[in-house]
Amino acid sequence: MRYSELMSVDPDAIDAAFFDELRRHYNDDEIVELGAFIGFNLGYHTFFGTLKFYPLFSPDGRLVSQAEAEKLYGASPVSLGKTEAAE
Amino acid sequence: MTRIAPLPQEAITDPQLRALMAEAEALGVPDDLFPRILARTPEQAAPLMRALLMSHAQGNVDHRLKEIMRILLARFAKDKYFASLRSAKARAMGLTEQRIDDGCFAYEADAKGFSAAEKIALRYADLMFLDANQLDKPFYDEMKQYWSEAQIMELGAFIAFHYGMQMFMRSLGAGAESGTS
Repeated sequence: MRYSELMSVDPDAIDAAFFDELRRHYNDDEIVELGAFIGFNLGYHTFFGTLKFYPLFSPDGRLVSQAEAEKLYGASPVSLGKTEAAE
Repeated sequence: MTRIAPLPQEAITDPQLRALMAEAEALGVPDDLFPRILARTPEQAAPLMRALLMSHAQGNVDHRLKEIMRILLARFAKDKYFASLRSAKARAMGLTEQRIDDGCFAYEADAKGFSAAEKIALRYADLMFLDANQLDKPFYDEMKQYWSEAQIMELGAFIAFHYGMQMFMRSLGAGAESGTS
């Protein structure tokens, strides 16, 4: 989780010491898998965020239009989990 | 040296990945370091390499413009590895280092001769990870004056994918010296 967070907000913190700690829990193959996955998602989530995509389903599971989803989820969509937690 | 050692060439036996590596070698981007690291995740290596190559060298947007955008993004990502690589195809099409630097640092200056379509595409790459909030409806409306929706998706996906892989390689500490592995 820290690897994914730092790659976006503080990549300088991903240093040799960080990798030493990462290696205590993951082998090199797994680190490559994680790193490529994080990079892919970092790029695409930012891009998709600019396109104003909204969830296809309402919190109660209905298939909704993008216009309705925008009303439901607002200008900054939050995860379904957060929505449920807030209720 | 990268923090994760690349696999030796001879350890890569997947014919799809080897074919993509040959294609990349001809293009010059990426060199063999990136796929030799990716090869540690065999299920993902070929699809990721294919996406990297196709998004850069194919499609309906001028390859020279995408090469400038790729280098602009790599410099912004502070990824010395991808920033050091150059497309032989773009060079053969006439792209120079001066043009790349102009595109990275002074594309809005009229004296540099970038078209309105090129300027907004470069601004798209510039803003995506600097201030994505500026990529709002008016921005996309302006984009549509110069680019089709298919081209905008091509550009956006290209920007997202290449920046993501650049940040990944930066996290591995891949530098210019290792880029010529």
